[in-house]
Amino acid sequence: MASLARKNLLEDIPRFLVAQAGIMFAVVLVTVQLGIYRGFLKSTALIVDEAEADLWVSSEDMVYFELTPSLAAENLFEIQGLDGVELAEPLLLPSAQWHSQSGQLSTMKVIGFDPDGELFQPWNIIEGNPEQLDEPFSILIDRTNLRPLDIGGVGEVADINSIPSTVVGLTEGTQSIASSAFAFTSLESALAYSTTAFSTSLSCQSDADGNLSCDRVARRVPQENWADNRQEARTLQASDTVTHVLVRIENSANLEEVRAAIESAIPGARALTGEQVAERTRLYWRDRTGIGFTLGMGAALGVVVGVVIVSQILYSSVSDHIKEFGTLKAMGASDWTLYGVVIEQAMWMAVTGYAPGTALCWFIAQWTASSMGIVVLITPLSSVAVFGITLAMCVGSAFFAIQKVTRVDPAIVFKA
Amino acid sequence: MTLLNVPPTRNATPARLNCPEDCRTIVARDIGMSYKLGDRRVPVLRDIDLSVRSGNVKLLMGPSGSGKTTLLSILAGLLSPTQGRVELLGENITALSKAQLSRFRLENIGFIFQGFNLFPALTALENVELALDLRGIRGKEARDRAQAMLEQVGLGDKASNQPRDLSGGQKQRVAIARALVARPKIVMADEPTAALDSHSGHAVMELLRKLAKEEGVTVLMVTHDPRIVDIADSIIHLEDGIIQGS
Repeated sequence: MASLARKNLLEDIPRFLVAQAGIMFAVVLVTVQLGIYRGFLKSTALIVDEAEADLWVSSEDMVYFELTPSLAAENLFEIQGLDGVELAEPLLLPSAQWHSQSGQLSTMKVIGFDPDGELFQPWNIIEGNPEQLDEPFSILIDRTNLRPLDIGGVGEVADINSIPSTVVGLTEGTQSIASSAFAFTSLESALAYSTTAFSTSLSCQSDADGNLSCDRVARRVPQENWADNRQEARTLQASDTVTHVLVRIENSANLEEVRAAIESAIPGARALTGEQVAERTRLYWRDRTGIGFTLGMGAALGVVVGVVIVSQILYSSVSDHIKEFGTLKAMGASDWTLYGVVIEQAMWMAVTGYAPGTALCWFIAQWTASSMGIVVLITPLSSVAVFGITLAMCVGSAFFAIQKVTRVDPAIVFKA
Repeated sequence: MTLLNVPPTRNATPARLNCPEDCRTIVARDIGMSYKLGDRRVPVLRDIDLSVRSGNVKLLMGPSGSGKTTLLSILAGLLSPTQGRVELLGENITALSKAQLSRFRLENIGFIFQGFNLFPALTALENVELALDLRGIRGKEARDRAQAMLEQVGLGDKASNQPRDLSGGQKQRVAIARALVARPKIVMADEPTAALDSHSGHAVMELLRKLAKEEGVTVLMVTHDPRIVDIADSIIHLEDGIIQGS
């Protein structure tokens, strides 16, 4: 038999369309808010996720991947000599200032890596030649940063910490929403950017017993002196600093043993897996900023709007068909049969509102990613979750309609 | 007219019913009903005793406000009387829970309403099928039975029409088909001919009488319509909530 619920729903097309618009709005709001939240968190640790390292060696005081005290570069050489370590590569993450040709100032996070290395490489390179990164002061930037950085594209030049730098390629989908613009460059160039703004030196003292103890001292160079302090690109030296050391362990090695060996060899350092560093980064952004709460509120608001709209539509639909419900009751339909009609209506509304709502979300996600670099992360799992929320929202909204159906007096059937 | 030539669809043996108390299908004893109005009670029905034998057509007649529809609602188990008891097919329905009453109505009673009470979103066939669906009869069997029933009431060619596309008489015949398709033992009808012209009204009454006589169905009907008096086996006259004669 044809579904009474579905037929009643489709009997009044304008009202049905209004309901669908409301549910679509709720679905879009929930999906986009959740997608932005998840996309935001994912983007904050993209660099970590893309690295091929088994372990990240960082300062034990690391707050998250980008906010961490440096390690001495000599630790890199020490780690390379440990048993079980197959490969160790440095990663430098100095902050910098970007001056476009027109004088626009922006902050920047430089990602310094070994272009010939194996543990980290930029990904999704859509234009240019990454091999040119071997040339000093060549950089790759994300396509979505062209406008914010006031630069036209590949081949154009701007100053990073007063050092003229050339854009040799563009990437896509590599930018963290939370960070300054990323510039991928060679280790040597990153070192020069870093030492232009900071000078480092060793300060050593000997105690009464003649033991020598040394501290590394970093001093910020005043910005007006950067041009004078401009450094040449050079290879890493033991007296330099690095932000992280990426480690690949040998196939036969035990991760925990290598981790323990590293932490024992380098006091003040922690060796974490990529997942642990990524998790720490995401937790930082989730818990120490209001982003989770703000986006969660947006999603909750979507659900509330959906509940209000669906409740109102279902209640008025039941009111309009109250005599039919009375007739069903008189004919001997059980309360659960009547609830079934209302709940089925709610479920049809959920399904028919969810499908176009999700399709719209996919378009929105594509548009924000391509035009602004903002990832609205929609996965099959999150789509299923939002469908579950939509179903629960619509079925929950049937509460007041069910109350009304429960109170229907079957004797109304004898009123003409 | 198809309605007047309805072939019996099953064994036309009135005695097939399990006749309680000499085949009295409907028995009401000392029924009273009153409503609370402020701090006093207004009586609507008083000291109602009646019985209807299986296979009989009984009319409940009386002026507006005499309590006919209230009495029909009580006898159908849609309203609880403030006193007395109702037995249908030997079952004291005044002692049943709401869920048990629903089940009892579903299994034993067919309803015909003055306003037809068809489901406007469903076709004529679906309206009839609905009564079977509620009893768990679905699919081809339900469709075939509903179609056969529509043909019996002369609307075989209107199966796919929606109620808005049917005349008043056709709607009432769909309602009758819906009431009868599940083969109830009792049919309760409220002014079934009120919205029909003389010809359609007479045809509907003939159909109900034929059903009662050939299949042993008990028909209790509220009506104002004097045109159908001659078709009934007996008549109860109700006035001011009291039976004046039968």
